[in-house]
Amino acid sequence: MSVLVFVEHHDGAPQKGSLGVLAKAASLGDADAVLVGSGVSSIDLGKYGAKTVHVADDAALEAPLPQPRVDVIAKLAPNYDAVFFANSVLAADVAAGLAARLDAGLNWDLVDVTADFVGKRPALQDTVLVDVGWTSTPRLALFRSGSFDAQETGGTANVQPVDIALEDFSTEARMVEQAHAEASGPSIEDADVIVAGGRGLGSPENFSLAEELARALGGAVGATRAVVDAGWYPYSAQIGQTGKTVSPKLYVALGISGAIQHKVGMQSSNVIVAINKDPNAPIFEFSDLGVVGDVHEIVPKLTELVNQRKH
Amino acid sequence: MSVRASDYPPPFSANDYVGEPTDPVDERIDVGVLIVGGGPAGLACAIRLGQLIAEHPEAAERFGDVPVALVEKGKQPGSHLLSGAVVNPRALRRLGYRMEDLPSYGEVHGEAVYVLTRRNALRIPPPPTMRNHGNWVFSVSRLGRWLAERAEEGGATILPETAAEKLLVSHGRVVGIRTGDKGRGRDGEPLANFEPGSDIVAKVTVLAEGTQGHLTGVALDHFGLRGDEPQVWELGVKEVWKVPRPLKSIVHTMGWPLRTAAKYREFGGSFVYPMGDDTLTIGMVVGLDYRDAELSVHDVLQELKTHPKIRKMLEGGERIAWGAKTIPSGGWNSLPTKLYAPGLLMCGDGVGLVSIPTLKGVHYAIESGRLAAESAFASLQRGATPAVSLAEYDDAIRSGFIGKDLYEVRDMRQVFGRGFFVGGALASAMTISKGRVAPGRMHAEPDAEQPLLESNRASGYPGPDGTLTFDKLSSVFLSGNKTRDDQPNHIRIERRVPREVAEMWINLCPAQVYELGTEGGDGTVTVQVAPSNCVQCGAITAKGGRLTPPEGGSGPEYTVT
Repeated sequence: MSVLVFVEHHDGAPQKGSLGVLAKAASLGDADAVLVGSGVSSIDLGKYGAKTVHVADDAALEAPLPQPRVDVIAKLAPNYDAVFFANSVLAADVAAGLAARLDAGLNWDLVDVTADFVGKRPALQDTVLVDVGWTSTPRLALFRSGSFDAQETGGTANVQPVDIALEDFSTEARMVEQAHAEASGPSIEDADVIVAGGRGLGSPENFSLAEELARALGGAVGATRAVVDAGWYPYSAQIGQTGKTVSPKLYVALGISGAIQHKVGMQSSNVIVAINKDPNAPIFEFSDLGVVGDVHEIVPKLTELVNQRKH
Repeated sequence: MSVRASDYPPPFSANDYVGEPTDPVDERIDVGVLIVGGGPAGLACAIRLGQLIAEHPEAAERFGDVPVALVEKGKQPGSHLLSGAVVNPRALRRLGYRMEDLPSYGEVHGEAVYVLTRRNALRIPPPPTMRNHGNWVFSVSRLGRWLAERAEEGGATILPETAAEKLLVSHGRVVGIRTGDKGRGRDGEPLANFEPGSDIVAKVTVLAEGTQGHLTGVALDHFGLRGDEPQVWELGVKEVWKVPRPLKSIVHTMGWPLRTAAKYREFGGSFVYPMGDDTLTIGMVVGLDYRDAELSVHDVLQELKTHPKIRKMLEGGERIAWGAKTIPSGGWNSLPTKLYAPGLLMCGDGVGLVSIPTLKGVHYAIESGRLAAESAFASLQRGATPAVSLAEYDDAIRSGFIGKDLYEVRDMRQVFGRGFFVGGALASAMTISKGRVAPGRMHAEPDAEQPLLESNRASGYPGPDGTLTFDKLSSVFLSGNKTRDDQPNHIRIERRVPREVAEMWINLCPAQVYELGTEGGDGTVTVQVAPSNCVQCGAITAKGGRLTPPEGGSGPEYTVT
């Protein structure tokens, strides 16, 4: 089998999610990558498992617009069994555009795939995994963020420059402005560590406990719907059914009861640690480590210990 | 001094939801008949209009390019439908269907009625009003999906995920509705995906919104059509279970966990209906004229399931669905003075076409939708006087089987205010005499005017065990509700109230929308609202608040309720 992986990049560095999908593809068979942008030739994907890297490097491709990328990938895709994407706003646009251009089937929100191309997609609010397949090639797949970890294999890739021929309609859209949300520390979708706070913190001021622990662990701060509703923390940090779905390596839940609406947003985290004073809180049913106690006593000490270990 | 929720009215004025069309004329959506609500009433209306237009092709052009349009606030027709439901087939047959062709769970073959105590169950002969021979078991959500397909085949245009926000009235005549905006943030600010609502103008507008219909309430106030007696409601909470052993007959219970003493005013009962060989539905219905601030119908249902008789039916099974909805229960005495206004017809549960003693409403909804279609069609015929045609709808409802049935049981619900046993005896007398023996006109008070009391009722509720009994939040999850959190709050309540009122709302709501905020120091508290939990059951409107429609597509996604 042969798979082409669309690798997204920001500021000259490949995006972590794309490298995770590349690692997954490499574990199944031959994995090639495609890089589209301006000044992207220097990005080394060989060490992340790519055999061949198709590089479309041109000033005209600088803006992260989907259609020019569809033009590039549409020429390469027919030589592959499948094209994989790590979900992002851009990747979803490119995957959808490519599906339309090639009349190819796209399965989205996958969390895994087998070597014989059976995809796994969570359904019914993530309570079950369903098997999904494709009836034609190339098979297009969009993976949920955080599904796979990047792997450094230390290989070298054969770099192939791509001839760039953009369709007229692809250059119609122009990037007018790009804006970034200012944030200190990693965003909750990318963070390896998330410290999340719930009603049990007691007051909005006590969110500083979560912020300080997150800073010590190099992580991001999340929140439950209850505290966002109460105006303690911004909606952008909300994790759960109607907020963000995350799967960090470590999830620390402070004063969170663990209602199912929250659980579905974080249950695929690698290690879940819960601190809650109610021993009957449902969160203890799906935590790897549970501490029954007062967050106001435990968290400052924990933060202090983490800071000591770092120095 | 006793505390009443009605002393703390919500910030809501019906006139804010009435206005002239505002879109430029060429941007309005122009339809023949506009139906609001994709339930049994609205869909029956759409189906009958399709039949009439097909039978009279020469009349079709009077309806315009879009002869029949139906707006539905749920994700699809059926998403917000919930009922028992044992359905009398009469109205479906009149609409032209054979029961065998409908997606039912079969005809009722046996039935049992029990009076429960904490540990025992006394089987009693079914009271005459509760005999269901010849009726059929349905999931009204599933029936709604099926009827929607028939309506579309008949040419109706269905617009799902569309809330009817405002009644368009021009020169005293209803000319359509304005749909709700989409993509507004918590404070009403437009977000990136903001889409303003549209004016949909129609020759006739049919409101078939179901219980606590938003625009039905607005129209009744605007046109001064409220009935002699106030409308009152019950709240039903139900679950659907996969079970290892089939249930053979339909079951109703009375008594426990409700208390029989008159001072509590706990009127209600439960139902358990088979849905094929491996599924059943169980629900609890309680009148919202109750007084105990700690009464929670969701938790009473959980308590009911711990009864030995009921537990046995569910043993080894799994809960697969949950939902809640109010039922108008005022009956004949609470009907609006008129079921129409210029350019407007109103159907079904929205105007209270429900018989509580017989636990029936679906067939009245369907029949009223069918009759509304007849009148709307007639009003658009050459030479017709629209006002006369629409008034004929009112006559047809009152003089047809709907009016006759509701009149016979007109005072029966109210007598239960006198307690279970006195009420039961009076109800029997009324039934046997077909309504001729009546204890004089029974007056009802609005549900929100009941003085509140507290009796530590909540201490008896079983805790959630995740197998037989469940908490509210996991139940809301099972309803399929994944409403966007960052939209404006659609629930109007007074935010600072006496503690008793706050506790009553917190317990009342089956979806955990209300939570206790901070103490005011003077016996009042603030109430926190989590509107995205709301399954739009309408209980808050009965008990002193006001539900308005959230963004279209919000709320539960019922499929088998």
